[in-house]
Amino acid sequence: MSTRSDVYILAARQISVQPPLTDAWMDAPVRYDAPYVQAIDPDYRQHFAPNEARRLGKILKRAMLTSRQVMAATGIANPDAIITGTGLGCIENTEIFLNALVREGEELLTPTHFMQSTHNTIGSLIAIDAGCRGYNATYAHKGTSFECALADAVVQLESRRIQTALVGAHDEMTPGYFTLLKRTGYLGHAVNGFAGEVALSMMLASARGENALCRLRGVEMEYCPYDGEALRQALNRLLQRAQCSLDEVDAVMTGVSGRQANDQVYASVCSRLFPNKKLLRYKHLFGEAYTAPGLGLYAAAVCLGRQHIPAHLLAEHAGGEQRSAGNILFYNQMEGKNHSFILLSPCGK
Amino acid sequence: MEELILELKQEIIAVLNLEEVAPTDIADDAPLFGEGLGLDSIDALELIVLMEKNYGIKLKDPAQGREIFKSIRVMAEYIYANRTK
Repeated sequence: MSTRSDVYILAARQISVQPPLTDAWMDAPVRYDAPYVQAIDPDYRQHFAPNEARRLGKILKRAMLTSRQVMAATGIANPDAIITGTGLGCIENTEIFLNALVREGEELLTPTHFMQSTHNTIGSLIAIDAGCRGYNATYAHKGTSFECALADAVVQLESRRIQTALVGAHDEMTPGYFTLLKRTGYLGHAVNGFAGEVALSMMLASARGENALCRLRGVEMEYCPYDGEALRQALNRLLQRAQCSLDEVDAVMTGVSGRQANDQVYASVCSRLFPNKKLLRYKHLFGEAYTAPGLGLYAAAVCLGRQHIPAHLLAEHAGGEQRSAGNILFYNQMEGKNHSFILLSPCGK
Repeated sequence: MEELILELKQEIIAVLNLEEVAPTDIADDAPLFGEGLGLDSIDALELIVLMEKNYGIKLKDPAQGREIFKSIRVMAEYIYANRTK
C-alpha cells in the first residue's frame, strides 16, 4: 500500500482574456483575432477598499483577488504553503522602474514601483494579505514556472509535510514586452497565436473535501531529453507512480498554439507517445504566456469537475463534445527543451 | 498660491494613485498623514521624490518632511518659497 498522500485540486479561479472569475469560457468562450490581448479585469472597486489597492499593479490585484476567492471557496483561509510560478514577475512595475532609471539618470526613483518590481512580490503579498506565515516560494523558470511551483506543492503534499497549498500562475504582458517578442518573431504574427495574460490561483489539498475538481496524480518534468526514448521513460515514470496505464488515459491536453516551431515538437511527441489519444487544446482561448500552462491545467480540471469536455477544447479532427471525462494527461513543452507531464483523474478514481 | 495648491493636489493624486479622490476632496489645511488622506511612510518617500523632480527641492533632512507635509497649504507654501524650477 502506498504511503504517499493523495493530492486534490479543490478549486481554482482565473483572470485572463476570458471572462474573469468564472468558468463561462466552458459554454461561451470569447474568441480573439488579434496578436496581443490583455486580460479582462473585473471591477476591482467591488473587491478592494480604495486605499487597499491603490499601490498595487494589475498583476498584484489579480493575484490577490483570485487567491482570496479560492481561499473563500475552499474555506482554507490559511494554507500551509503559498507557491507561485511566474515567468516575468511584476514586469509592468519593473519596466516603469527601469525606464525611470534611464530617464532620470539613475536618480529620483519612486519607491513603490521599485518595491513591487520583484518576482516574489506576488507570493509575499498574498501571504501578507492572508496572514500566512508558512512556506512561501516563487519559481521563475520561463515556460515551466508553473509546473515547478506545482511540483513543489505536490511533493510536499504527497510526503505529508503539508496538507494544503495555494499554487498560482501569474504573468502580465506589457506592450513593451510584447514589442520585444514581436521583434524576435516569437509572437505577434497572425499564424503564431496570440499573447495573453494569466492570473490563476488554485488550492491543492491532501483531503478531498466535498467539491474537489479532480485528483492530481503526479507531475514529471524532463529537461532537454536526449532522444524520444528519454521522454517516453519520463511519461512511464509518471504513469507507474500513479499506477495508471496509458490505455486508461482518455485525452491529452497540449499547449498547441499556432506557433509553428513549437507546434511541430508537439506533433512529433504526440504521434510517438500517444498516437491514438484524443487531443485537447487551450491556448486558442487563453493565449500564450510563460505561465499559460496553469490555465491549461485549470481548464482540464474544470472539465473533470464538470464531467464535460466542450467541443471547442478538442483539437481539429478530434470529434465532438464529450459528456464525460476520464483521466486527462496534461503535456507541456517549450522549444523542445522543457517538457512536463501532469496526470489528472476524476475524484472517484 | 491657489494655482499651486490645485496643481499640487493633482500631482499627489496622480503619483499616489488616489483613484477615488478628486482635488476638491482634499481640504487645503487637512492633515495629509494619519487622518485626512491617510497617507503613510511610503507615500512620504513618494512626496519627497515629487518635490525634487517637479520643483527642484531636495530635502536634506528627512525630519523636515514632518513639518512640510503637514497639509497641502503648508507644502505649497514651502514649495513657493524654495522651488528652483
